[in-house]
Amino acid sequence: MGDDSDAVVIAASLESPAQFGAIFDRHATVLHRYLVRRVGPDEAESMMGDVFRIAFEKRATYDLERPTARPWLYGIATNLLAKHRRTEARRLHAVARLAAHRLPPLDLADHVSGRVDAADLWPRVADAVTSLPEPERDALVLHVWEGLSYDEVADALGVPVGTVRSRLNRARVRLRELAPASGREQHENTETRDPGRIES
Amino acid sequence: MSDDFDPLRQLRPDRIEPDDPGDPAVFSRAKEQFMSTIDQEHIEKVVGSTPDIYPRLAYLDELGAVDYLGRVFQFVENREARMEFDEKFLCWMRVGTGVVMISHANADVHRIHSPVEVGLTTVILHVYVHDIDTHYAHAVAEGADVTMELRDAFYGERCYEATDFEGHRWHFGERFDDIRARGGRTPEPEDPPS
Repeated sequence: MGDDSDAVVIAASLESPAQFGAIFDRHATVLHRYLVRRVGPDEAESMMGDVFRIAFEKRATYDLERPTARPWLYGIATNLLAKHRRTEARRLHAVARLAAHRLPPLDLADHVSGRVDAADLWPRVADAVTSLPEPERDALVLHVWEGLSYDEVADALGVPVGTVRSRLNRARVRLRELAPASGREQHENTETRDPGRIES
Repeated sequence: MSDDFDPLRQLRPDRIEPDDPGDPAVFSRAKEQFMSTIDQEHIEKVVGSTPDIYPRLAYLDELGAVDYLGRVFQFVENREARMEFDEKFLCWMRVGTGVVMISHANADVHRIHSPVEVGLTTVILHVYVHDIDTHYAHAVAEGADVTMELRDAFYGERCYEATDFEGHRWHFGERFDDIRARGGRTPEPEDPPS
């Protein structure tokens, strides 16, 4: 049982539902972190149960050609998040305010016209992201925060990979317009910093 | 990777404010709830939704009992069924495929008593649960009065016992077969448990 693919477990759970518990064991922590990133810990805890309940109810429609269920679960979670747009926007703006204090200020002066300091940049990124149309934002967050490949994002959102590509391109343009991107040299600087460090 | 996505990548909330590692209590609670939901569907398919025996238990503080049994042992009250008469309550709690009734200890009408009144009890209620280890850990964390520690029993189940706040005795177990069916480990046959 332990080594069976998600597809095998899900197929078996049609006859014996309790087997679906293994899907929870394998993916709950990752899905929980995704929900926390987008809507914060309180909402995430109650939504996590919903994600797996919905998955369980829809398990007969799972495409058994797909060995891992993770993109499918990401898709279910992402659908649920649509009802929490305001919570998500609030959270991202709060994170941006924290970032202005805690992240080392980005030295963007070399890369953009006029100086953009940290206090300015992060709220602008938050604005850029929260003002994106939902389909673009979902694709963006799944790719950038969750590290899903284009194929996996397509799988999660149930759209062709070409659609993912164009959504991410549009999101990229918007991010560039509203929040001037950091340049290559600058990025290498930040990589050497400890991302977990908290300054307060 | 350095690209237009960088600012957003750096704004990932857990990079700004590292969250605590997933709280195991959150996961075990969520798992337990999830399993009871999906077991519920299983139950309804297999045996129908109403059992044929409803033990009726007496408590001096019956609402306290509903709270305690829900909080410590994770029974689920059917709130729609709750009846109130003369400030006494009669409640129904679902326990897996079974139901227990929680009522007021009462000397005149039903003549049933709480163990705390008479100083003894004559019954142990046996309950089978999903994932006995998690159930046990939850009960202990909620302050259960454990009267027999969690152990593997020779007759093929893992179990513990606890006495509730008015002295009713509960035995919780999970059969080795069920533990194996959910991918859990049980003692080897050649390594007989005590």
